[in-house]
Amino acid sequence: MIKLFIDGAAVEVPEGTTVFKAAEQAGIELPHFCFHPAFAPEGSCRLCLIQIEGSPKLELGCSTVVREGMKVVTQSPAVREARRGVLEFLLAEHPLDCPICDKAGECKLQDYSRDYGLTESAFREFKEKRDKKVAIGEKLLLDRERCIQCTRCVRFLAAITKSHELGVFERGVHAEIGILEGGPVRNGYSGNLVDLCPVGAITDTDFRFKTRPWFLSRGESVCPHCGRGCNIYVDYQPGFPRVPGSAKVFRIRPRTNEAVNGPWICDAGRYGYVRAQNEGRSDRPFWNKDGAKTGLAWDTAMAVLGDKLRALADAGRADRVAVAATSWLTNEELFLLKKIFRDDFGAGRIVMCDPPPGEWDDFLRRPDRTPNARGARELGFDPAPPTLEALARGTEVLILFGPHIAERFAADELRAALRGIAVKVLVTPHFTGLEGLMDGVLASATPAEKDGSFTNFEGRVQPFAAAARPCPDVRSELAILAALAGSLGLRPDYYGRLTTAAAVRRELAKDIPFFGGAA
Amino acid sequence: MIAAFSPELVSKIEALAGRYPAKAAALLPVLHLVQSERGHVSAEDERAVAGLLGMPPIKVREVMTFYTMFRRSSVGRYHIQVCTNLSCSLAGGEALAAYLEAKLGVKLGGTTPDGRFTLTGVECLGACETAPCLMVNFDYYGNLDAARVDELLGSLT
Amino acid sequence: MTKAPQVLTEFFWLEQLHRIEAYVARGGYAALKKALAEMTAEQVHDEVKKAALRGRGGAGFPAGVKWGFIPKGTDKPKYLCVNADEGEPGTFKDKYILSHDPHLLIEGIVLASYAVGIHSAYVYIRGEYETIARRLEQAIDEARGAGFLGRNILGSGFDLEIVVHRGAGAYICGEETALLESLEGKRGNPRLKPPFPAVVGLFQCPTVINNVETLANVPGIIRNGAGWFLELGLPKDGGTRIFGVSGAVAKPGIYELPSGTSLREIIFTHAGGMKDGRKLKAVIPGGMSSPILKADEIDVRMDVDSVAAAGSMLGSGGIIVIADGTPILQVLRKVAEFYAHESCGQCTPCRLGTSWIRKTVERMAAGRGQAGDVDALIRLAANIQGRTLCPLGDAAAMPVTAIARKFRAELEGGLATAGARP
Repeated sequence: MIKLFIDGAAVEVPEGTTVFKAAEQAGIELPHFCFHPAFAPEGSCRLCLIQIEGSPKLELGCSTVVREGMKVVTQSPAVREARRGVLEFLLAEHPLDCPICDKAGECKLQDYSRDYGLTESAFREFKEKRDKKVAIGEKLLLDRERCIQCTRCVRFLAAITKSHELGVFERGVHAEIGILEGGPVRNGYSGNLVDLCPVGAITDTDFRFKTRPWFLSRGESVCPHCGRGCNIYVDYQPGFPRVPGSAKVFRIRPRTNEAVNGPWICDAGRYGYVRAQNEGRSDRPFWNKDGAKTGLAWDTAMAVLGDKLRALADAGRADRVAVAATSWLTNEELFLLKKIFRDDFGAGRIVMCDPPPGEWDDFLRRPDRTPNARGARELGFDPAPPTLEALARGTEVLILFGPHIAERFAADELRAALRGIAVKVLVTPHFTGLEGLMDGVLASATPAEKDGSFTNFEGRVQPFAAAARPCPDVRSELAILAALAGSLGLRPDYYGRLTTAAAVRRELAKDIPFFGGAA
Repeated sequence: MIAAFSPELVSKIEALAGRYPAKAAALLPVLHLVQSERGHVSAEDERAVAGLLGMPPIKVREVMTFYTMFRRSSVGRYHIQVCTNLSCSLAGGEALAAYLEAKLGVKLGGTTPDGRFTLTGVECLGACETAPCLMVNFDYYGNLDAARVDELLGSLT
Repeated sequence: MTKAPQVLTEFFWLEQLHRIEAYVARGGYAALKKALAEMTAEQVHDEVKKAALRGRGGAGFPAGVKWGFIPKGTDKPKYLCVNADEGEPGTFKDKYILSHDPHLLIEGIVLASYAVGIHSAYVYIRGEYETIARRLEQAIDEARGAGFLGRNILGSGFDLEIVVHRGAGAYICGEETALLESLEGKRGNPRLKPPFPAVVGLFQCPTVINNVETLANVPGIIRNGAGWFLELGLPKDGGTRIFGVSGAVAKPGIYELPSGTSLREIIFTHAGGMKDGRKLKAVIPGGMSSPILKADEIDVRMDVDSVAAAGSMLGSGGIIVIADGTPILQVLRKVAEFYAHESCGQCTPCRLGTSWIRKTVERMAAGRGQAGDVDALIRLAANIQGRTLCPLGDAAAMPVTAIARKFRAELEGGLATAGARP
């Protein structure tokens, strides 16, 4: 271990640590643009210059390796002057775009300019004029006037995706980032460039001009689109107009987790929220009778379904109930589902209806198109998808969680197979057309809107809390299951307590050794 | 796709690449070679070179646009590169450049309509003792005055 | 006075000197024969160290010390890169060595490689020197044919191959790490140091980078000894130097003189004094990157330490003489345009600072200067100097600072009256 001093405070770090990292440990974040922990130090922005006793020149924090007894000063007049110098140079050729730039509010150039008091420009010359809307990828726009040449984008595509779509052309003040003709950024991870860009040079067309970061609330969740379970932030506007009491999600961003996804997420997960969160949502329970949809209050819906189920149970035909679960459900929901329908109600059939596997790569994307396939397996669910014949045979009531059965079977097949089932109830966050075949639809929450946990493909149990609030008439599957247990009159002393994800998780940990540490 | 390069050119390129432990190091000499044979380096040439040297094509574009001697479009038969740096300036370099512009009827950066001359300004050529000076293709000419320029231009048919 | 010894340039003016027969006839390759037959690599290295041979490219770093940075006992291949990029404005001396006496350079390369244990040398020659590069390649072929290059040189068991590699028009590639990047087939972006090229250099292997003239001095040192070399120059700066004189002098050209010769003497005794009877206004002593000296500052000895003590740089020894009647703004403009054009663009202060300086100077040259411009230039240069990834930033800043400070009155006198913004 090496002992050094940063601004007078002693810090101990392993040999080979950079001053930047040592400072981080001491609670100091050196200002920086080009540095990023995922890449080797670049040393080109020159903002992280610091003073080291005994060195005549200022040194870079990002690349200088600590030495025993080193004395580092991160906030002297000389250091501040050097930082102001760098910022002043950047601002001289930077367009005054803040009022129209998406990055405003989360822009490092803005932040540092404020920190170092750069409010007036001494630049009296003509700024370089450059292209402001270069389409470098399907959802990416490059504004060359805003670009500060930190080259994080180029280095990401060289080191992480190894797809090399971006390069630096020309030199000097004319240096610019660009693609080759016919070679846009297209590698399944392009959205990370928007997060990487410290300023508003690379922006997302998905997010362009839609809102301001200071109007957004930020919640933490886990991406549900595959088995990796990348950690994410959900940026949403609470109380979004026209759907009062709910939240509209404006974007998903990576939440760094070194063990799962690092600082990255894939494009499918990043942009999938549009469909998953905001489009085609079922927004209230309803009953489908003779082609007419009748909205129901939740209590009524639960009572109706409960009556139908209890009738069967009382007649000794509980085994005529089939439940199709999905590994889009949380560990807690799957546990509760099994407890209610297998252990206490005695349903005849509990199967898994998941979407078929999809594209995957050797970076983050996994083939399973659900977040909790491993969790379902550990909870004892058979992952093999059912045949329609097996599902429908002798079934009088079908409770279907998730609309994914429609991804495995054609509409005609489904209609034919399900026709014989007297009562079909679909619990879904989305209208996909499948609800036309159903008798009742219960509107459920997306993973971003509920508490729970997923078990990723490696067996990592990742709990999360609701990041955004759903519409008022939408319930989590956990709440639906707890209400059903109540309306069925099952063991009130047991199920009466199991109304929150945390409570269920404690029970789950007691019951199943795999989840022993999950509570 | 290297269909655009003749087998002779390909083998010259491979010979150049063989002079280094890593093929990519041959890029600048290879671009000089391609440019000398084809007049300039097109986007297709870039892709071909990238393929032969085992690098992403964008890396060739990066190099093409960094170095002033590489051209993405052709120049006249005689590329007159007049020095605009200090020692030549002290010896009348601006006047030389202006004289050439007037004689050729093009501004610095332009090519004469008949395709014979391209005139560009360049930085120090390392011939300051013969200021003011210029390069025609790769030949140096110095100690130039109006008469010598006329003589030179006349000889470039 | 006695004529200064012409150890490097003595035979430059002979016809066909560049042919190997002519070189051998006048004693060429004798040093190599002696070294391979009678000296160990360490002994060759020590001799060069004792000779106080300082780099002739611009930095003036002692060559023998630089060679010593190569790690002993490394199992990686080691490389020698010869810096023949010669891009510093006002510099043209290496051109003569390369074209008139390529075998002198080749012999120096072999000796240096032998001293350090290098078997692969690359000559990075600026792209514009195309004809000279071909001549160098011919000389290399001749040397190989005569057994001075290739495998088992002169039966010594020592191998060396030399490859000539042309640049393509980028001054920054004269900076050693940018040279390495360019040699590897990339943009000439300088690298962060540490690690230094001696440890992580060409193809990530230990590498020595030396200027052409530096290596051209090695055969003489080995043939005649370090003492002889020191006698020619100074105790800490041995040998002669090839000064290049250009600008408003009667006899522009190369002048080989002992290290420490006075600048005044070089200009007025050797280069024929001022052209057309004009008066001296200022001198740039060591290539454009060196701070300008006023007419009353030229009594400085032209060796690395003395010029540094005078607040400037010996640099590449490219002396540019400026006469009265030349507006200093003209000089400043060439300086500003050059560095802005040659900045690689990697780091913030150089990329944006050189551009800002150029724009300001061009506005001044267009007659739209304003009060405060000269102070602004000094401030901009101060925000570049010492803050950049490579020395080009310093090279851009120092001349601007020197011109702005020493010729402030002339610059400010020429400004338009302070008024509306451009």
